[in-house]
Amino acid sequence: MQPCTMWNLCAAGKTESCELPGSEKVYLLKQDCTFFTRKEILRLHARFYELAPNMVPMDYTNDPEVRLPLQLIINMPELVENPFKERIVQAFSEDGEGNLSFNDFVDMFSVMSEMAPRELKAIYAFKIYDFNTDNFICKSDLEQTLNKLTREELEAEEVTLVCEKVIEEADMDGDGKLAFADFENMISKAPDFLSTFHIRI
Amino acid sequence: MYTVEGDMDDGYVHPLGTGAVWQRSEFNDMNHASNGESLRQRGYNARETISGPREAQYQNWMDDLSQDENKPIKEFICPMKTKREIRKKQERMLAKKTGWDSWKEEKRRSFRKFRGKTSESLKYVEVWRSSLQNIEGHFGTGIQSYFHYLRFLVLMNFVTFLLVGGFIVIPSIVFNELKLDDTSGTTTTTDSAASNISQCLGYNPNPKGLVLYYTFIMDVLMGTGFMELTYMFYGYYKNTSVNLVGFFYNVPLAYLVTTLIYFLLSLVWMVIRSVKGFKQSLVKEDSAMTNYTNKVFGEWDFCMKDPKIIKLKKSSILYELKMDLEEEEMRRIHAQRTMAQRAGIYILRIVLNFIVYSLIGAAFYCIYLATSKSQEWLKEEKVKGDFILELLVGYMPSIVITAANFILPMIFNILIGFEKYTLIWQIRHTLFRCIFLRLVSLGMLLFSLWNNITCGGNIDEANCITCGYNSDIYKCWETRIGQEMYKLMIFDFLTVLVVILLVDFPRKMLIDHCSCKPIQLWGQQEFLVPQGVLDIIYGQTVCWIGTFFCPLLPLLNTVKYTIIFYMKRLTLFSNCRPALRTFRSSSANFFFLLVLLLGLALSWVPVLYSVFVIKPSVGCGPFRGQKTIWQTIPTTVLTFPKAAEEFFGFIGSQAFVIPLFILSCTLMFYLMALSSSYGKLVNTLKDHLQMERSRTILLNQIH
Repeated sequence: MQPCTMWNLCAAGKTESCELPGSEKVYLLKQDCTFFTRKEILRLHARFYELAPNMVPMDYTNDPEVRLPLQLIINMPELVENPFKERIVQAFSEDGEGNLSFNDFVDMFSVMSEMAPRELKAIYAFKIYDFNTDNFICKSDLEQTLNKLTREELEAEEVTLVCEKVIEEADMDGDGKLAFADFENMISKAPDFLSTFHIRI
Repeated sequence: MYTVEGDMDDGYVHPLGTGAVWQRSEFNDMNHASNGESLRQRGYNARETISGPREAQYQNWMDDLSQDENKPIKEFICPMKTKREIRKKQERMLAKKTGWDSWKEEKRRSFRKFRGKTSESLKYVEVWRSSLQNIEGHFGTGIQSYFHYLRFLVLMNFVTFLLVGGFIVIPSIVFNELKLDDTSGTTTTTDSAASNISQCLGYNPNPKGLVLYYTFIMDVLMGTGFMELTYMFYGYYKNTSVNLVGFFYNVPLAYLVTTLIYFLLSLVWMVIRSVKGFKQSLVKEDSAMTNYTNKVFGEWDFCMKDPKIIKLKKSSILYELKMDLEEEEMRRIHAQRTMAQRAGIYILRIVLNFIVYSLIGAAFYCIYLATSKSQEWLKEEKVKGDFILELLVGYMPSIVITAANFILPMIFNILIGFEKYTLIWQIRHTLFRCIFLRLVSLGMLLFSLWNNITCGGNIDEANCITCGYNSDIYKCWETRIGQEMYKLMIFDFLTVLVVILLVDFPRKMLIDHCSCKPIQLWGQQEFLVPQGVLDIIYGQTVCWIGTFFCPLLPLLNTVKYTIIFYMKRLTLFSNCRPALRTFRSSSANFFFLLVLLLGLALSWVPVLYSVFVIKPSVGCGPFRGQKTIWQTIPTTVLTFPKAAEEFFGFIGSQAFVIPLFILSCTLMFYLMALSSSYGKLVNTLKDHLQMERSRTILLNQIH
């Protein structure tokens, strides 16, 4: 009898035609660790597989270490038009370079789904907006964010002015840059954050 | 609990403090975990490094304070691999636990799974879920909130229809078919002479004489003629009271009680919904303090996929930031104004407000006049002979209301520019004026009707003295009110359709095919959410007022809103572009529910007034022959057993109501005091937090 792969499980919907070794347990584990249901995890795997059919295995029983490079991930239709796509993928990758394993892939969409709580999203949002990864959102990070948001059509002095205003509004300890505490405090007051910071897949 | 190394080695530092370097404790701790130790106690700390080896570059923001054993793993803040390891270890620990603990753990986990599964399956029951998601993906959450709102009203109308249909319409139909009617007899008025009764009774909506070819259409559009003799309107229902073996059903009682029930149900439903929004807006600070940060961090909708929409979103953010910077400039200039300039501006504002409210007053007078005249002219022969004229006269109130609600907001928009308010106040003032106009114009129409029906409240006037209401014009005044609401609803519906078909689509076609400058400048239709929401609130208020007099109105409203949903979605995708100024859905959601509550309160006034004060029509309806509609309840209570009768008598008496009222007031004041003290507490805590942080900076600087 052939071992059950992801395709057997979701195509047939039944398991009597195949043997269930560890793969079922793999998805079961994932289900508790993400906000997705089993069906959605299988669907995510299908999307992951589509990105690189020659690299991604169908059978995840042995938990293979397959990482897809940044370039493949940011071409997904959900991300390709997003100005922060590289930062998003880098924030969820283990090496910080943007190479995602399937674990990280599921993690990314799980945190960005609408069911993740605000605190979780705030942490990853901070990582995303911290362009130079110094654990602070400083003025240069803000300027880069602003330019990405407005297609670089704001004049330089306007950009500076807006960045100053943002720091003025959010910085609690007066060091001229935003630490995570300031960011989280500000996010808790931003009413739209929870609804805008999510990607539907 | 936390060990700190590095520069800050004095005292306790808040775990979410700035720039602290933490010590990492390894996963080994979990292996030593004994029963009942939470992850927090195992000292799960975070390490952050500026730059370092590949593994350490990944930062762990461990939120210790909320890393509970009871929290599901999916909410932990660590990479997936870590979560899976934690899960494996949890499973192993679970296997080690004995008896009560493991059973508890298992139950907790399965309950969580069950809850997840039920909420997931409930999502499939949600109507139009995919449409809403599609709209959100393309146009953002602001516009999606309009459709969300529309769907809520469709559901509410449908539930109202089920109530009304189940308890009023269907029993009436059944009793009618089974010829079980008239067990409670015909009218039994004791306070009018016999000859007078005949004048009040002459209710015959069927036209006498020549039946013209367009009568059918006219009847459908105006709710007269054959329509009056259907279950559509109040007048057709009889005061049947069926008393078979073991089965007792009193139609008038059911009619009254169902009305009260669906009003209460709507109120409770809306209050529950608005409490969610209210909580959020309480916590939220004044938007002036978070304006820029919200625009930079909270504005970008990560859901958007369409490049065109993304381009528009970027332009809209750009536009908003520019506007904000301009506002800053303007505020700075304002602050530097001299006394003379300030006085000038105040005078200007007073004058403009005077103009605005006199315009609104003029509109109200026109509506009042239109309603009275339309009632009068419909009786005239020359109007009855002409199709178009009769239609126009019949729909005159609706036309005037719609015209006022269309023209006046445009004037408001122009005038507000001269008043030199900041942007946010401009929006608020305009919105307030529009809401005031809409809801009170409806009130004016009802006032005019009331004036006609009750001869200005003066029962002793010539027309009203025989029957208690103006039986000259209104043989069945409840049906007439129902008809007016019916006409308002139809006209509103037709207006929406006409605007979509004859304005939006041609505009899009013009823009696509004609490339001349003025048309391109005019641009595509913007999908304006506030106006749309006010429209549907207005429609819903009309429905609430009308349901008592026209029981099938909720069904019509459900159908109307469903069609509007599809039409608006169609026009959104084909013709519209998102508004340049983003509609902030979260704060507005609560605000619009509040306005809807206002509409509900407004709709209670005519219904309750009719129930308690005005004498019901003698010739029609389920309450014929009674002194007031409310009389049904005391009459029914009298038929209860003695104990129940005394109980209800006590509840209705002043001895109960006044203390209850006083108690409710006291409770309300107590809650208000409690909430204000909580607010003060929150502010104090915020100040403390600020002080703590400044203190640590100062200490830092000293060292």
